[in-house]
Amino acid sequence: MGGLPHRMKLNRRLPYILLAPSIIVLLALILYPLAFALRNSFWFWNLQTSPVPLYHSGFDNYRMVFQVTPFSEALKNTVLLGVLGTFAQFWLGMGIALLLHTHLHGMGLFRALLIMPTTLAPVVAGFLFRYLLEPKGGLLSWLLVGIGFPVPPQGFLGNANTALFSIGLVDTWQWTPFFAIVLYAGLLSISEEVKEAAQVDGASPWRMFWSITLPLLRPIAAFLVMIRFMQLFNSFDLVYVLTNGGPGTASRTLSFNLYREGLVNYNIGMAAAMTWLVVIIVSVIINLYLFFIYRKREW
Amino acid sequence: MSKNGISRRDFLRVSGAAGAALAGATPLGNLARVSAQADTTINVLTVGDPWDLALQSVVDQFTETTGIGVNIESLGYTALQARLVNAFLTQSADADVIAVDQMWISQYADNGWIRSLDDFIAMDSDAHFDDFVPECLYSLSTWRNHVWTLPIASYAQGIMYRTDLFEAAGLDPLPSSVADAGDWTWEGYFGILDQINGMDLDGTSMYGTTVIGAQPVPVVHMYSQLSASYGTRWFTQFPEAPWDFTPTINSDANLAALNDWKRLYGWSPPESINYLWFDAGTRFSQGDIGMFYHWTPYFYLVNNEGYLTGTPSPVVDKFETAVLPTLTAGGDQVVSLGGWSLGMPSTSGNQDAAWQFIKWATSSEGQKAMGQVNVKGYQFADFSRKSNYEDADLNAIYPFLGTQLEMMKLGDGKVVRPPAPIYTSLEGVYGLQINQAMAGQVSSEQALATTQTLFENILRGNQMIPYGVESFDDTLDNTKALIASLSSM
Repeated sequence: MGGLPHRMKLNRRLPYILLAPSIIVLLALILYPLAFALRNSFWFWNLQTSPVPLYHSGFDNYRMVFQVTPFSEALKNTVLLGVLGTFAQFWLGMGIALLLHTHLHGMGLFRALLIMPTTLAPVVAGFLFRYLLEPKGGLLSWLLVGIGFPVPPQGFLGNANTALFSIGLVDTWQWTPFFAIVLYAGLLSISEEVKEAAQVDGASPWRMFWSITLPLLRPIAAFLVMIRFMQLFNSFDLVYVLTNGGPGTASRTLSFNLYREGLVNYNIGMAAAMTWLVVIIVSVIINLYLFFIYRKREW
Repeated sequence: MSKNGISRRDFLRVSGAAGAALAGATPLGNLARVSAQADTTINVLTVGDPWDLALQSVVDQFTETTGIGVNIESLGYTALQARLVNAFLTQSADADVIAVDQMWISQYADNGWIRSLDDFIAMDSDAHFDDFVPECLYSLSTWRNHVWTLPIASYAQGIMYRTDLFEAAGLDPLPSSVADAGDWTWEGYFGILDQINGMDLDGTSMYGTTVIGAQPVPVVHMYSQLSASYGTRWFTQFPEAPWDFTPTINSDANLAALNDWKRLYGWSPPESINYLWFDAGTRFSQGDIGMFYHWTPYFYLVNNEGYLTGTPSPVVDKFETAVLPTLTAGGDQVVSLGGWSLGMPSTSGNQDAAWQFIKWATSSEGQKAMGQVNVKGYQFADFSRKSNYEDADLNAIYPFLGTQLEMMKLGDGKVVRPPAPIYTSLEGVYGLQINQAMAGQVSSEQALATTQTLFENILRGNQMIPYGVESFDDTLDNTKALIASLSSM
């Protein structure tokens, strides 16, 4: 009987012991860099002038982010890219998933082909579309001109009105299949009995989609949308390869802004401040999203 | 005063002094050991520019002569800078010899990341230091009266134009020498563009020119040449002492230059707003551009249809090179002079062998060997030594060397794109504003006013206005005196 308290103690501690490795990794890989960046964001540290932080600069770095970099334009572009890109990919992906679910002939092959764009590195996709969108001889531009679509003389990537949308187009080409595959898996998990019951009640396909399919896909769709929005919010590769943020600031995103400040200008203090601003903005958006999505449900 | 008890200015002063002290110190290992060490292998980090291809093709000659093995690793521009800075910060001996962009010299030298080559040069008569074109050393290698690197590839800017198109348009050939330039002005240049733009040449509709419009770095490289010709200076006083970094970028001269830059863009393919350096060169070599100015490596690169493809372009034997025009007839000219040089990290454990390599690669013989490499065409004429420009063999391969040397001699890399600390940050905002003006997002006046404000914010934020560190009278004359002093030891 003397061993029981000891075993109870062990049982009480066991969850903490098992969680400890994860917590240590979390601290080392996430919290430490964030804390390090937070500390540096209040110091003047520019590697162009000194290899070490020079002095405590208060909120100067945060002020400078708005004064010397196109932060507001980058934020606007990033939100636009994130919202429109996620929206387009979700609905296109949903359409493809519903098509896959029809069990039409050849869907097996289509499913296999569908996943291919997501296996490409974004840099490769970027180079591919850079050539396709080239105004002088690019295949896509040539096709569009052929069907009478107005191609800007500077090309889609060189025009301030189309550069950001072109990046969104390439991202959509690459990541819509991801939505399609995951949503298709979600469609397969919906119980046939539920659908049959609705059919017996005389529900139209449209009504069934809005009242049964979509609500039952909601948990997985909410998660997918959140993940893709966050990825789009961090868009860098495609911007770097396709437009370098231009023309002007037309396609500059927050990640590209951060790259310029940290890895081109080597202003570590300002890059750290920018990092924290991005962390705060993303956290606010994601928490608002989660609040509105999950407020009436518990999964 | 900071909370640590060190004032900002004091710290900057100490950093500057530390850099200068490091330059003056002589941690040479043992200069008596200049003979090669047969069992030594050095690591060389370079950038993937055309000169790197030539260097890699002849590096075995160095090993055969000295017994020193060489591992060359080539990286892209940004990757090289990131790798170097990371190695310097972690004090790791990542390489024994590194390629250094002229804009990195002040940062590397002031931080003590590379070591001065003064003592090596002074104690090694084989270096033939006085053979270098002074303007190349001044623009690429010196900082605060010390030599930190030696030039491996010097680039000036000049004009390439289609002789067949000029003939069809009834235009005279352009001057290949400053002595023949007479009334060769930018307005004359624009007049020709206006005339040839839209002309039909053998069924091809020609563009007058092409710009390099991508922001931020490429557009600054090309635009700053026009702007400097118009008399634009970035700061109130630099490089002459005392340094005053109060910006002067929003000037009448620069406004005129930016307006004319937009005219240049009007005679260019619309997509050139996104062109990088090689995009513009490739476009000329594809045959629908009448005339443009660019870095001098394109004097030979345009012989290829694409960048380093080795396939002859349609413009081979149909183009000539010319000197840049001036703002007014017979007026002053200043040419952008940039390029790459080789330096030695302070952390290198093979400093003697590294010096042997730097000396060989930048020597007249080493450079000639690189110039004679014929892989995918002749790919290296970016000489920095007078003897190479006088060499008959090299002139036979590269007939434009006379024009190139004249542009070099008018070169001033410290005025056109001043390599002041935090230049990269300034270039970032400047390039963006020029690009926005080209795209029509802002007017020329707005672009320059914004640039001026951002320059002031950046310079003040980085404690460069007022400048608290000791200045140096960084003039070409002082570099010439340094060359004389190191050559006479």
